[in-house]
Amino acid sequence: MDDDGARAFRFHGNWRDYAPIAFTNLLLTIVTLGFYRFWATTRTRRYLWSQTQFIDDRLEWTGTGMELFIGFLLVLLLLGIPILFLQFGLQAMVFQGYAGAAFLLGFLAFAFIFYLGGVARFRMLRYRLSRTWWHGIRGGADDLGWGYGVSYMWRYVVSVIALYLPVPWAMIALWNERWAKMSFGPFAFEANATTRGLYGRFLLFYLLPIVLLVALFAVGAAIGVAGYLPTDHPAEPASPVFVLFGVLTVLGLYGGLGIVALAYYAKFFRVAIDGLSLSTLDFHFNARTKDWFRLVLGDIALVVLTLGVGVIFLSYRHWKFFVTNLDASGEIRLSELTQSTTRAPGQGEGLAAAFDIGAI
Amino acid sequence: MTSAGPDESIWHFDGHSATRHHPRLDWHADGFTLDWGTGGSGPHPWSALVPLGGTAGRSVYGLRGTSGWRLGFTGAPPEGFAIHLPLPARYGRWIDRLGLWRAIGLFTVAAAAILFLVVSAPRWIAPHIPQSWEDRLGDAMAGDFGGRLCETPGSRAALEKLRRALGPDVPIRQIAVANVPMVNAITLPGGRILIFEDLISEAKSPDELAGVLAHEMGHVRHRDTMTALVRQLGLSVVLGGLNGQVGGAINGLLAMSYSRDAERAADDFSIHALRRANISPLPTAAFFDRLSGMAGGDKVERATGWMASHPVSSERKAAFERSAVKDHRYAPALTPAEWKALVDACTDDPDVKKGGGFFF
Repeated sequence: MDDDGARAFRFHGNWRDYAPIAFTNLLLTIVTLGFYRFWATTRTRRYLWSQTQFIDDRLEWTGTGMELFIGFLLVLLLLGIPILFLQFGLQAMVFQGYAGAAFLLGFLAFAFIFYLGGVARFRMLRYRLSRTWWHGIRGGADDLGWGYGVSYMWRYVVSVIALYLPVPWAMIALWNERWAKMSFGPFAFEANATTRGLYGRFLLFYLLPIVLLVALFAVGAAIGVAGYLPTDHPAEPASPVFVLFGVLTVLGLYGGLGIVALAYYAKFFRVAIDGLSLSTLDFHFNARTKDWFRLVLGDIALVVLTLGVGVIFLSYRHWKFFVTNLDASGEIRLSELTQSTTRAPGQGEGLAAAFDIGAI
Repeated sequence: MTSAGPDESIWHFDGHSATRHHPRLDWHADGFTLDWGTGGSGPHPWSALVPLGGTAGRSVYGLRGTSGWRLGFTGAPPEGFAIHLPLPARYGRWIDRLGLWRAIGLFTVAAAAILFLVVSAPRWIAPHIPQSWEDRLGDAMAGDFGGRLCETPGSRAALEKLRRALGPDVPIRQIAVANVPMVNAITLPGGRILIFEDLISEAKSPDELAGVLAHEMGHVRHRDTMTALVRQLGLSVVLGGLNGQVGGAINGLLAMSYSRDAERAADDFSIHALRRANISPLPTAAFFDRLSGMAGGDKVERATGWMASHPVSSERKAAFERSAVKDHRYAPALTPAEWKALVDACTDDPDVKKGGGFFF
C-alpha cells in the first residue's frame, strides 16, 4: 500500500472513552492492594492498541493480566535474593567484620542486578511485539536477550569509565542491537541508526552544568564586589538582588538542564526510529523538542491540577503522542506478510516493570 | 443452515498470511463455516470462538487453537449469528462474574481484613518465636558492630550496675556503648542494647541515661523488635503488589502506628523501673524537654506527631514528671567515678574503631 500523503499510523482514541477504563482501573487497584494493576495495564493496552490504526487496520493487544502477574512473581524470585542481600546481609557482614567479602559480594549482587536491567529492556520489547497483532500476524524474537544483557553491561561500563562521553554511542548501538533481533511476521527489523547529529545536543547537555557553574561564579563574584553579599552584613536580611540571583540560578539549572535533556532525547528518538525498517517499510518519528516540551508541560499540568489523579491518564497521553508522531513509508505486500515463527514468551514483562522502564 | 455475506462488514484473517478475506458465513445450531471462494475455514463448533473484545462498533473473535485466526465485524454481527457469540471479558473473569461493584465491595473487605491481620498479628506471633532464634538473628544482624563497641573495665561495671538496678529479670544479653556520633540508643533482636556515644556525652547526669536505658529494656521485655520485624516482613509481602512509592508510604505509616503503642509501653516500663531502683525520673523528663527543643518545639511536633514514631516529647515528659514523688530522696543511678568511666569509655578503649565510615 502506498503512502499517499495520509499518515500510516493514526490514533482514534478519545480520553472520554478511556476515562471509564482509567477510573475503574484505579479503583480496583486500590481495593486489591495493588494486585489488580496487571489486569489494569492489560485493559489500558487493549484499548490503546485497538484505537491505533496502521494503514488499513487496527492493532490488537492480546497480552493478559495473568501473564504479567506471573512475570512479576518470577522477578520477585530472581531479584528478591540479591536485593535482600544488599539490604540486610551486607550490613550484617560489615558489622561482623567481613567488610572485604561484603564489598565483593555486594559488587556481584549489584552487577547481577545491572545485567538483568539490560535483559529486561530486551524482553519487554520482545513481549510487547509478541502480543501485538495486525492483520492476524504478530511480532516477536527468537533471541532471549541474555547476550544483549552482556552488551548492555559492557557498553555502559565503558561509558562511565570514559566520563559518560560515549553515552550516545552506547544508546544508539544498544537500540540497533535490540531491534535487529526483533521481527514482525516473517521479516526481521533492520536497525541502522547512527549517532550523526546526536553529539551536538549531547554535548550541550554535558557542558551546560559546567557553563552554568562558571557563569554562577562570575555573576556571584560581580554581585559580591558590588557589596551585595549578605556575608558583609550578617545581621541584615539577604538583599533582593541576591535572592533574585538565587532563584534564577535554581530555575536555570533545573529548567535549562531539563530542556537540554529533552532536546537530546527528542533527537535520539528521531534518529533511532528513522534508522528502523521492516522489509520495505521505513519508519519515521516526527516529534521535535517543542513537541516533547509540550507533552511534558501538559503532563505536569495534568498531574498538578488534578492533585495527582491525572497520573492515570499519562499512559494514554504518551501512547497518543507516540502514535501521532510515528510514521512509515514504503510498501507492504500483505500476501508476503505471513505468520511469525518465533516462540512467544510465556510470561509478561515483569523484569522491565521491576526496573520501572517503559511504562505504557 | 443460515447464511450471511459476503460483505465488507464481515472480515477474516486466517492466521497464516496477512491477506484479508470477506467470507460468506454459514451457520447452524452446532457451529459455523467460512467460505471466501478461493478458500474456507471450518466447520468450527461455537465453543471454539474466543471473544477478543473490540470497541467503537467493532467486535473481534479468535479461534481456540489457531493463533492469528480472526473473525471480525464492523457494526453489529448478523442477527442469528450474534446469539451464538460469547461475551468479551471486561474487567477480568472473576470480576465480571461478580459484577464490578460487588467485586469492589468484596475486595475492600478482604483488603481491610488482610491489613488488620498483618498489623496486629505480629503482636501475638512474636512471643511464640523461640528466644534462641531471635538471639541468632540479632547476632547475625549486628555481630560486634564492626569493632565499634567501647569497653573498659570501669564502663562494663557501670553498665552492669545499671542493668541489675533497672531490669534484673529482663533477658538482656548485652548492653554496650557504640562509637557512633548520634544521640540515640537502639534495641537489637536477641536482647542487645546499643547506646550511641553522643547520648552519653549529651546526658547531663547518669539518671538521664538510666531513664533511656530502662526504656530500651522495656522494648526487650516486650519483644518489640521481633514484633516489628515480623510486621515489616508481612507488610512488604502484602504491599508488594503496589508500586514502590505508594507501598512504601503506606508501609511506613502502618509500621509507625505500632511504634507509638510500643514506645508508650516502653516508657511505662521505664517509669516503673526507675521507681523500683529509686532513681529520680525528673532528669529523664528534662531530657525529653531538650529533645523537644531539637524537634522544633511542641507545636511543630504535635502537627507532625501523627507520622512520628515516638509519642510527642511533651507527653512523655509529663508522664515521667507525674511519676516523681515529691520531697523523696532519690539515689543517683551511678557514682561520679562510675559515670566518668562510662563517659570516657570510647576515649579510653584502646582497640575501638574510630571514624564514621563503616567500610574501610
